[in-house]
Amino acid sequence: MNARAGRFRTFYLSLFFVALYVPVLSVILYSFNESSSTAHWAGFTLNWYRQLFNDRVIAEAFKISIQVAVLTSVLSAIIGTATAIIAMYVTKKMKKAINGIMLLPLLVPEVALGISLLIFFSALKLPFGHLTLVLSHSLFCVPYVYIMVQLRLNDIDFSILEAAKDLGAARWQIIRTIILPLVAPSILTASLLALAISLDDVIISTYMSGAASTTLPVHVFSMMRVGVTPKVNALCTLILVGTFFIVGLGQLINKKANKKEAF
Amino acid sequence: MKKLKQNAPAIPILIWISLLVGMPLMFVVVLSFLSRDSLGNIVFRFTLENYKRIFDPVYLRVFLNSFILAVLTGLITLLIGYPVAYFTTKLQPKKRSFVIMLIILPFWISSLLRTYGWIILLGKTGLINSLLMQLNIVKEPLNMMYRFGTTLVGMAYMLIPFMIIAVYNSVDKLDKSLVEASYDLGASRWKTFLNITLPLTIPGIAGGFTLVFIPSLGMFFVSDLLGGGRTIFLGNLINTLVTRGRNRPLAAAFSVGMIVLVLLVLFIYNRVAKDKGEGLF
Repeated sequence: MNARAGRFRTFYLSLFFVALYVPVLSVILYSFNESSSTAHWAGFTLNWYRQLFNDRVIAEAFKISIQVAVLTSVLSAIIGTATAIIAMYVTKKMKKAINGIMLLPLLVPEVALGISLLIFFSALKLPFGHLTLVLSHSLFCVPYVYIMVQLRLNDIDFSILEAAKDLGAARWQIIRTIILPLVAPSILTASLLALAISLDDVIISTYMSGAASTTLPVHVFSMMRVGVTPKVNALCTLILVGTFFIVGLGQLINKKANKKEAF
Repeated sequence: MKKLKQNAPAIPILIWISLLVGMPLMFVVVLSFLSRDSLGNIVFRFTLENYKRIFDPVYLRVFLNSFILAVLTGLITLLIGYPVAYFTTKLQPKKRSFVIMLIILPFWISSLLRTYGWIILLGKTGLINSLLMQLNIVKEPLNMMYRFGTTLVGMAYMLIPFMIIAVYNSVDKLDKSLVEASYDLGASRWKTFLNITLPLTIPGIAGGFTLVFIPSLGMFFVSDLLGGGRTIFLGNLINTLVTRGRNRPLAAAFSVGMIVLVLLVLFIYNRVAKDKGEGLF
C-alpha cells in the first residue's frame, strides 16, 4: 500500500464523515442560538430549552412516548426471547420458517404496514391509543430482540446443556437455570434497543395514535411541517441525548457481560 | 407425529405474527377491492375501480416518481458508499472499529432530526446560503429547498449506512488470496478491483440496494419536509389519502402496488444473490 493511496483513503473517509455529521451538528448548534433565524449567530442562549420545559403539549407527548416505549420494550423482550429459545428446539424446517417470518415486518415498507394495521384495527374496533401503539411497535421491535438473543444463543457451549440433560434436568429447568441467565445481558441490550426504536418511530405512530395519544415524534413532525424554530432544534437535541444515553447504557451492559464470560 | 410435537411451541409465535402482519395485509387486499359511498364510507361492494385508478396517467406518474427516487437513491448511496466500505476494510483493526461505529451511529439519531438538519443547511436563510452570501459568492439566496434533488439528498443521507454495511460485509468476506494472486500475476490495482473485487461483491451491492430501495418507497416525511410536496411520491400519496382524503380503499390499492414493487425487488435480489451462492435473507 503506497502512501498516496493511504492519504486519499483518509481524505475520502474524512470528507464522508463531515458530510454525515454536519447536518446533525448544525441542528444541535443552532438550538443554542439567541436569534430565531439560522441566518446568523446572535449569541449563546438556553432560552429555547426553557420554552420547551414550559410546553404542556410536548410534556404530554413525551409522557405517552415513554409509556409506549417501555411497554413495547417489555413485550418485545418477552416475545423475542421466547421465540429465540423456542427456535432452538423446533425442527430445522420450522426454524427456517420462523427466521423468514421474523423478517416480514421489516420487509414491508412502513407506510404499507401502518395502513394495513390501521385498517385491521379499525375493523376490530380497537380504540386507537396506547394499545395499538404498543402492538404495532412491538411488531417491528421483536425481530431485533429475536436476532440479538439468537446471536448469543449460538455462542452457548452446547455441552453444558447436554450435561444438564444427562444429569436429569427437565427442559424447562435447563431454560430457567442455564439459558436465561446466559442470555440475560443480550435481552437487556435488546430491550434498550427496542426502547430506542419505539421512541423514534414516526410513520407507524402517525396511523396508530389516537386523538389524545400523540407520540413525541409525531408531534415533532407536525412542528417541523410548520417551520424552522430553534425550539424544534432544542427538542431534537434533547431526544438525541436521551437516545444516546439509552444506547450507551446498552453497550455498557453488553461489554461488561462479554468481559465476565469465562468459558 | 414426533415432528408435530417438537414444533408445537412455535405455534403461538406463528399465530402472533400472522395476526399482526398476515391478517392486516389480507385486510388491505380485501379493502382495495371495495368501494366508497358518496360520504366516503366504505361499502362492501366488489369493484376494480381502485386498481383502474392506479393506471390513470396521473397516478402512474406517482409510481414512476417513487421508482425513480428509489433507484437513484440506491445508485447514489452505492457510488458514495462503496468506496467508504472498501476503504474501511483496509484500515487497521482499531481504526476500523471506530469508523464502523461512526457509520452505525446515525441509526441512533432520530430520522426526523437528520431530515431537519438538511432544512437548517439548505433553507433560504439556512447555513449554506448565509455562508455563500457572507463570502459574497452569491447575492440572492439560492433556492435549494423543495426540489426533487432535495428529497434525493435527504433520502440518500438517511439510508447510506445500510448500503455501506452491506457492501462492507461483502468486501470483508472476500477471499484475499484471489486479490493477491491477481497482483502477483501483474494486474494493476484498478484491474484487480474491476475484475476480482467488484464482481465478487455483487451480492453485497444487491443486498445494499435492496435495503435502501425498500424504505425509500415509504419514508414520506423526508419528501414531505424536504420536497415540500412538489413532486408526489407513493408514500406521500398513501399518507394523504388516509389522513386527509379519507379514501382508504384507494390507499389500500396503492399499498398493494407498493408491496408488489417490494416483492419484485426481493425476487430480483434473490436471483442475484442465489447465483452467487449467498444471501442476506
